Amino acid sequence: MTAPALPESPSEPLIELRGLTKRFGARLALDTLDLTVGRGEIFGLLGHNGAGKSTAIGLMLGQVWPTAGTARICGHDVHRHRRRALARVGALFETPAFYDYLSGWRNLEIFTQYTAVVPAARLREVVDWVGLSPRIHSRVRTYSHGMRARLALAQALLPRPELLILDEPADGLDPEGIHELRQTLLRLRAELGLTLLLSSHLLSEVEQLCTRIAVLRQGRKVFEGTLADVRRTANWVRLVTRDFATAAARLHAAGLILRDRDGAWVQPAPGVEPDELVRRLVAWNFPLYEIAREQQSLEAFYLALMRPDARTIPAPADLPAHP
Amino acid sequence: MTDPPPAPPGSPLRLTGFGRLLRNELWKLFGKKRTYIGFVMFLLAQNLIALVFKLTRASAPMQRMLESAGHVAEAYLSVLTIATIMLVPVAAFLLPLYVALVGGDLVAKEAEDGTLRMILSRPVSRARLLAVKWVAGAIFGASLCTALGLFGLLFARLYFPWGGLFVWLPEQNIFGVYDAAGGLGRYLAAHAMLVTEAVSIMGLAFLFSCFNVKPAAATILGLSVVFVSFILEHIPYFADYRDWFLTYHLHLWQFMFAERIPWWRVGQSLSLLLGFNATFFAVGLAVFHVRDIKS
Repeated sequence: MTAPALPESPSEPLIELRGLTKRFGARLALDTLDLTVGRGEIFGLLGHNGAGKSTAIGLMLGQVWPTAGTARICGHDVHRHRRRALARVGALFETPAFYDYLSGWRNLEIFTQYTAVVPAARLREVVDWVGLSPRIHSRVRTYSHGMRARLALAQALLPRPELLILDEPADGLDPEGIHELRQTLLRLRAELGLTLLLSSHLLSEVEQLCTRIAVLRQGRKVFEGTLADVRRTANWVRLVTRDFATAAARLHAAGLILRDRDGAWVQPAPGVEPDELVRRLVAWNFPLYEIAREQQSLEAFYLALMRPDARTIPAPADLPAHP
Repeated sequence: MTDPPPAPPGSPLRLTGFGRLLRNELWKLFGKKRTYIGFVMFLLAQNLIALVFKLTRASAPMQRMLESAGHVAEAYLSVLTIATIMLVPVAAFLLPLYVALVGGDLVAKEAEDGTLRMILSRPVSRARLLAVKWVAGAIFGASLCTALGLFGLLFARLYFPWGGLFVWLPEQNIFGVYDAAGGLGRYLAAHAMLVTEAVSIMGLAFLFSCFNVKPAAATILGLSVVFVSFILEHIPYFADYRDWFLTYHLHLWQFMFAERIPWWRVGQSLSLLLGFNATFFAVGLAVFHVRDIKS
């Protein structure tokens, strides 16, 4: 497939949400969401069921009306200038729905022509790309789940999107299907330079795919940052020295750490960076073989954010700098 | 965004944007088996009525009526007369049912199936989408009326000879006797006017389809309004207010059989039906426009 035409203003974000709020009656589904997704990113939207992910995606696609705030897609307010905003957007939903009594080909023609006329050659190109050519003229009701997922991807790639919005795309897929989808999304970004926003609660998928994430809890964004930021939120430091117990006791006495565990880990006091620990230990003539921050897994980070008592909202700006 | 490319060379038909969407909508509509229920039921009902006339003495009262008016009954016990007799109950009961079924499906079924969410992730305006669907529904209504007329002639022809048209519609004080050519003209004109009934009831069900309801609920709501209007129209004390009732204007096809067609009344009903339909569409659009489409 050929890459999409170069954007008019490459620096402009493709998704820009400002103070986006949605109420369904008395229920607050989304609370003043601010979000920016730049070109070329693979952005993950995380959260439990009912956290507001699908509402946010509905707002981005102009399917849901905001109670307050604005959603700009490809530089246009999607609720005021829907046709311009969605002209280069493809979308994929967790349970893609088709006209089962029509062929895959006819379905592609129907959905695509809501955007633009697509030559048959382009349709064939995309159908080949998703590997559905042998069955594209069969009725969709005869398709397997995986084939439906590929057909959904084909319709999202027609005519030529710059931005793909995917709502729980891996839901219902078997491990092989999930692997195939992941490879496809990575290919889309690598070969076509697409920007992707995907919502998911499959943390391993997000961890392997996304360059940046936001976490929603009960309609509120509780985190936004890169996966590197996530890893740096861990507040334990691994320390390998000849006499860990003595070193830890001295660091503790100096007020540099709060506690230690497992004969290898120390938790620095607030404001103390690992380089400070290194300086002190070297000054005290402790042979230091290794020092490294704990690498926080996305799962541990996510679960910590979802705890009922989790009140802090770590933002990249508040996180310590890279060691 | 660049303009869409032109149709490929040799393309048999160059459609506009609206034309393409309408063609797609018709593919969707006529690709479904349930769309054909009405056609099949017309076929069965008309065959049954024609057979009953053929195999019983059901035509005897009609013959007596014609003879007492000084006509040769055999000349009018014909394809056109039987087809017109079949038309009355089918237009009153079956036609509203099937157009309401399709009108109720047009938006609500897509919302229920999830395809509406897929469509509305595309850069199409809700107004345009509804307009395309409404026109597709109107085309269905017109095709159902055409099928009704053709099936009537075809099945009546299987059992009866070609001849003049005798029509008696006591409610409208219509008693008409026409030769074959004149009768055929009246028969065709009645079906052309019947399209207004089909489209209006489809439009009513379509209005309810734009709400967040199940397709069956939209169909039932549409038919309920028609029945309530029919009941109100037939309460004698409300005779002065009949102009306000939708069903009063849906009968205008029957006037095509009157000896002297009351064109002023036809024109009045046509203009009011236009108003009813514009209102149904505008309300449906207003409701659909503010709806949140969720999974």
